[in-house]
Amino acid sequence: MMEKQYTDVLIIGAGPAGLAAATNLFESGFKITILDEFPHPGGRLLGQFHEESDGSWWIGRQVASELVEMTKQPNISLQCGVSVYGLKQISEGWEVLSSVGTIETKYLLLATGAAEIPVPLEGWTLPGVMSIGAAQVLTNVHMVKPGDRGIIVGVNVLGLAISRELAVAGVDLAGIVLSPNNLFSGENANPVEAINLLMSLSHLAPSAWMRLGGSLAQKMKMGKWVSTFFPRQGMNVWDIPLLLKTTISSIQGKKSVESVVLADVNSSGQIIAGSEREEKVDFVALAGGLYPLAELAAVAGCSFLYLPELGGNIPLHNEQMKTPLSNLYVAGNITGVEGAQVAMAQGKLAARSIGNDAGLLKNGREKIAEAMDEVHQVRKTATIQFHPGIIAARKRVYEMYDSLQKESLTS
Amino acid sequence: MSKLRIVNHPLIKKGEQKRISFTFNGESLEGLEGEPIAAALLAHGIRILRRHEESGSNRGLYCAIGHCMECRVDVQGKGQVRACLTPIVEGMEVVEGKQLENKITGREAP
Amino acid sequence: MSNSIIVCRCEEVTVENLEDAYHTGAITSRQIKMKTRATMGACQGRVCRNLVDLWMGNKNPLASKGVEQLSYRPPVRPITFGELAGEE
Repeated sequence: MMEKQYTDVLIIGAGPAGLAAATNLFESGFKITILDEFPHPGGRLLGQFHEESDGSWWIGRQVASELVEMTKQPNISLQCGVSVYGLKQISEGWEVLSSVGTIETKYLLLATGAAEIPVPLEGWTLPGVMSIGAAQVLTNVHMVKPGDRGIIVGVNVLGLAISRELAVAGVDLAGIVLSPNNLFSGENANPVEAINLLMSLSHLAPSAWMRLGGSLAQKMKMGKWVSTFFPRQGMNVWDIPLLLKTTISSIQGKKSVESVVLADVNSSGQIIAGSEREEKVDFVALAGGLYPLAELAAVAGCSFLYLPELGGNIPLHNEQMKTPLSNLYVAGNITGVEGAQVAMAQGKLAARSIGNDAGLLKNGREKIAEAMDEVHQVRKTATIQFHPGIIAARKRVYEMYDSLQKESLTS
Repeated sequence: MSKLRIVNHPLIKKGEQKRISFTFNGESLEGLEGEPIAAALLAHGIRILRRHEESGSNRGLYCAIGHCMECRVDVQGKGQVRACLTPIVEGMEVVEGKQLENKITGREAP
Repeated sequence: MSNSIIVCRCEEVTVENLEDAYHTGAITSRQIKMKTRATMGACQGRVCRNLVDLWMGNKNPLASKGVEQLSYRPPVRPITFGELAGEE
């Protein structure tokens, strides 16, 4: 039999939120355990890099190794390659069921991140078709190209950011095309929505990409329609053809991917008959966006709110990262899809909340207010913003939490 | 070195990894110690990791982070594992996930 | 859209299978799941539950408003019987 382990704080997920929480908690003297299913710590930090507005590069792998270095403390145990498959509330905290046995903890922080929304189309089960995140992990974490030549499906923040990373690594891309126009694609199949998205990114303008968005915005203001100025062959961004008038209708191949069928679309995203053509590729990366991975919060018994601005169903929590369930906290993308820098600030905030609830934080109120401020600041200046409605949506989550707490106090 | 391996990335540097050998469907292959099975196989151009249990359709790596279960392979001594999460070790014997027989429908194993 | 598109990769459930289930009385995501096995495969719906909810919401807007939502049940990750029994 495996011995039951005991810890004071258990953090599930060794990504930006989980690692930041641990590094901000070790001074409490708590015994801290961090678990992650991936063989290496860092979560999505491992594969991310982007250009900041001052032209410098933010490299997630470096940030991850700095955080991991800071977790090398006698009271922190970082265990990778461990899957958590269940949990239950006990009188003194939480009991967590994992592939290395049962772990009992007083405080539990869920920092499980996000998962990808798929883009179903004809042929998408063929080997060589993968989520955009998979292409990122192969290229930037394992340093193996996803293939000799590929195509990106989905004009959205995630797809664009990772396309650039693939280009930097020397991966040959036939282009970025619109999602297939079916009832699963929503706005992702619409060329006008794609341009609106570029416009919403353009005010950040840290790169060639964003500048392109800005110039499109100018043309839109002049009243010109996308179809009159946007060339069929697309425009090159970082040497990647951005094909805003092109969609994918199917993926072909006998044993694995050999080609895709592309087609032109009109301004509402409908395929123009007779425009279909074959493009040879050996991999396809599907960018459907992210949703918070909250299955453990559901198993724990959290209530959920559906907020599309945050990526879907969110476990109810307050601004201090506490759920209504005692000693259960959340941080990072499980609370809504945003960038890694926001997740780190949230991890720090969750750490302070836990420290304060344990009575170990001096000037707890001020320290928490300070950490909340930091989350706001980071969010405001983030280079990669996933949704313009994030701030308002988060406010709604906190209001809902407060009103439910009041209800339970009065009843 | 396989042409899919990225050796000179302008921004990301990885430490030296030891070359080790493992087998896939009986064929002996070289990989880098600690990299997941799926990455080691892709570096050799191998994408088909599994045949669907019912239909036998070809499947490969899809999410790369352990969510989708598409890359299930069999490792001698370990049973079914996710090829995207399981690091290769020297001498590891890996076999693709196989289509299963179904006694009710009469489908035989391929 | 072609009806042969696979929605649930694990169980190879197509759009056509969902349509058939809907037209024979499955009018919530949960009923669709029971009827077609969509979301019941090895990934436990991590890949397709969004798609099934989306499809259902299109078919029957009332179905997505909190009625019989798909649940999550442990174990949420694959474990062996040995691990369940507490073996190393």
